[in-house]
Amino acid sequence: MDLKDFVRKLIFNPVILMWCLCVCTPAFVKAKDLNNNIADFPVTSTQQQAIAYIEKIKELKSSAYWPNIKPVLFLKNLKTNIHNPVSIYPGKGTNFCGYGALTYLFLQDDPLGYATLLMQLYLDGKATFRNILFNPSPAVKLEAGLLKYKGLLDINPAEQMWFLTLAGHYKGYINIFNREYDAGDEDRFWASVNYAKFNRMTRELLNYNSKARGADLVRPKVGNLYNYISEKIKTGTVVLFINNRIVYKKNHVKIKLGVPTHFIVAEKISIQDDVITFIYWDYGRKTQLQVSTAFFKRIVFGITWFTKKETDAN
Amino acid sequence: MQTKKNYILFLTLITSLLFSCSPKNISTKYYYENEKMLDRIEESYKALYLQGPFNVGFTDRDFKTFSLEIITDTLSYVYEFDIDEPRLKDTLTAYKRNAAKISTLIKQMHDIRCTWINYSHYYVDEKKQTLILMSIKPVALKRLFSYSKYYVLTYFAQPQYFDSEGRLLDKRKMRQLRKINGDVFKRINNKVCYAITGHFR
Repeated sequence: MDLKDFVRKLIFNPVILMWCLCVCTPAFVKAKDLNNNIADFPVTSTQQQAIAYIEKIKELKSSAYWPNIKPVLFLKNLKTNIHNPVSIYPGKGTNFCGYGALTYLFLQDDPLGYATLLMQLYLDGKATFRNILFNPSPAVKLEAGLLKYKGLLDINPAEQMWFLTLAGHYKGYINIFNREYDAGDEDRFWASVNYAKFNRMTRELLNYNSKARGADLVRPKVGNLYNYISEKIKTGTVVLFINNRIVYKKNHVKIKLGVPTHFIVAEKISIQDDVITFIYWDYGRKTQLQVSTAFFKRIVFGITWFTKKETDAN
Repeated sequence: MQTKKNYILFLTLITSLLFSCSPKNISTKYYYENEKMLDRIEESYKALYLQGPFNVGFTDRDFKTFSLEIITDTLSYVYEFDIDEPRLKDTLTAYKRNAAKISTLIKQMHDIRCTWINYSHYYVDEKKQTLILMSIKPVALKRLFSYSKYYVLTYFAQPQYFDSEGRLLDKRKMRQLRKINGDVFKRINNKVCYAITGHFR
């Protein structure tokens, strides 16, 4: 083992890393009482720890494993995501929304874990996190950095690398007929995320306890939907699996398949005169939507509620 | 003999009906026939967007209900209104938008059956570029076999590059077609392109 390998192993050793960062940087997160804001819950690592880690990296060399990723853009993308998790953008027309929601939660809870995982993936071409080995296929490694016409994702190679890696690693029944990556598969079933797959990914990657209600084709039986979600938001983080085709219509076809296709992170919810006002995160921004309770019931197919397993940051 | 003639006449009638409302036919004429109104809508939207970002589109087939998305630094607000609903003015005023001009824009969109208008971003050599995307549901595209088609226009800020078939290219030197929302667009002039698509945004 040469000095370079030793230093790299040292950097990616989570115990040493956490110790160094805890000594060098104060832990800012305190378990405040909250206003339904997921940023206020206890976290596994803090944003400040992740910033301290990433800001130490001033220059990055090209990776032999990811030939089409420009190191300057990669580092810039990683820094932007750590500083501003809301900016996570799964790309226009892709099937990456499930991975986007997962990453948004990851960055809220364990930004340092996210940063070290992506750096390891970039430098070594594979990475281990919570005993999961991510070893992307050669096709994925070749494609990352080349995705085009996806809006902001075009210039975000760290997100391209991460979403393609996740899509290649995790498979559900929905991916059964398209398991190997070919160009353009980010828009096809290869990248799709069904509800069970989403829940499995979050259980494995996030330091949360989770409870899921609902299914791909059956709406959740939780009594009063508004009451259920508003209660869960008060005590944890809520992700909804929704039928986005009727929320954001793209055509005027009257008969639409009543199936969910989109994952969003619920931020706030309130009700007045049968109208639900709902704030959620998706596609690099937060949106406030007003819908009737009947419409809300029509669109929600899955509710996953996350609560913290433990607080590591302090 | 008479039966054969009738059969040929019937076939000719059906064929001409099909082609008269085909997307190919409408795409070549529509822009120039409605150029003034379409450009007026685009210019008006561009000016109003710069005052405060928003998107607007009709969500029903009858053009009675529209969705308005008001974009602020922290949050996007999505509202749905019926056409001529008084609370539109209050909402726009609350967000400090030009209620009168936006109402006029929506009326113009309604009159020409414009289903959607928004600002869209794309990247060339890692630099952010913008375009205005406008979808129209012309009456001819409402007929049988074309009911789910939209005439989509893109207004670019700079002149674009096209191949010999008039298809929009990624860059001058790269002979790769540029796709917008998954569709290939064709030239109308240096800055305006069109596509016939199955979705309005």
